[in-house]
Amino acid sequence: MANLKHIRTRIASIKNIQQVTKAMKMVAAAKLRRSQSNMEQARPYARRINGVLKNLLPNIDRSLHPLLAVRGFKKTGFVIFTSDKGQCGSFNTNVIKFAEKAIHEVGKENAELICIGKKGRDYFTKRDYEVVESHTEFWNELNFGHAVEFTASITRRYLVGEYDQIVVIFNEFKNVASQRLVKFNYLPLVVEEDEEVDTTEYLFEPSKEAVVHSLVPRHLTVQMWRFLLESWAANMAAQMTAMDNATTNAGELIGRLELEYNKARQAAITNEILEIVSGAEALMESSK
Amino acid sequence: MANSFHLEIITPTRVFDEGQVTYLRAPSTNGLFGVLPGHVDAMIALDVGEIKIERSGMVKYMATSGGYAEIRADHVQLLVETAEAAEAIDVQRAQAALERAKQHLADKTSELEAEQQDLDAMERALNRMRIAERSKS
Repeated sequence: MANLKHIRTRIASIKNIQQVTKAMKMVAAAKLRRSQSNMEQARPYARRINGVLKNLLPNIDRSLHPLLAVRGFKKTGFVIFTSDKGQCGSFNTNVIKFAEKAIHEVGKENAELICIGKKGRDYFTKRDYEVVESHTEFWNELNFGHAVEFTASITRRYLVGEYDQIVVIFNEFKNVASQRLVKFNYLPLVVEEDEEVDTTEYLFEPSKEAVVHSLVPRHLTVQMWRFLLESWAANMAAQMTAMDNATTNAGELIGRLELEYNKARQAAITNEILEIVSGAEALMESSK
Repeated sequence: MANSFHLEIITPTRVFDEGQVTYLRAPSTNGLFGVLPGHVDAMIALDVGEIKIERSGMVKYMATSGGYAEIRADHVQLLVETAEAAEAIDVQRAQAALERAKQHLADKTSELEAEQQDLDAMERALNRMRIAERSKS
């Protein structure tokens, strides 16, 4: 029966899909682990630099360093982190919606966008936002060099005065099941003041100011590195969850189709028996 | 007074725990400086260059691209963007980076700022190649 064959091929093709989603889930899990270990490795460096800056910044005239000076907020640069590919549930939609809201708070005409990741770039260019810079197709080879490159280009834009503040929007990795949307004021640099101040009297070589000046860009780079890692980990976690759901759904669908297939097969057999029996009956009738 | 101090080299991608060492030489922005146990507390900005570590007669060289050193009497932390042991340096990659920077510079079309970046890249590549030589001798 045509119907039977039809169901059989559907089951086979869904099984194929299920295999693919299962494999994609595994790949995402492996990438997630790698990026988590990168995050671990980056933490001591980030913590130390942050600590030192916290201690030094209160003693320094902020206006001396262009990356520290607070100017009036007129134009805002938004750095938005999305992924290149879909198949990760509402990961990108969430960031984009969140970013759109933040942009409308300052007004579309006062905002320029730097999109990290293809999904964000495509969305915002299509809707006539001012996308001045985008970086795509690097996530799979993500390394510290990317953080250096992006930071350099973003701080350059800030220094020549294209923007008065830079806001970063990304998905933070909370755990495998959930991400948190974060809006972070990247520039001008703010470091939360801390109660416990390290009172050690240091000898500064060549000078306190020089040390701060060399630390600020490094701090920004390591922050950027954190955004990239967080966003990538969150992306992989979202993909893992999405692919896990897809695999389960495929399983359910296969179950339903198999039931349908068995029913159809039963019906076909019953039909055949009926035909044989009634045929035999008719023969007996006629031979009497 | 102890005759050694604890050295940690912290980079954004890795932490090298060097354990107890007897002498450290690092490149500050004003030239090379040495650290012996009992050094006064100091914070020193580091430049691109060579880190030399001595412990029980053994000497180890590393290439770095700058950062800063936090020095205490019995503990030194180097926070640097990169740190590579002399024997781990990929000379071919350094050579390629050098060629690339030279090429860029030769193009002449780039702005002043980009030129500075190329010069920095060249300096880093040359530094790595020089230190890689150390592991051969």
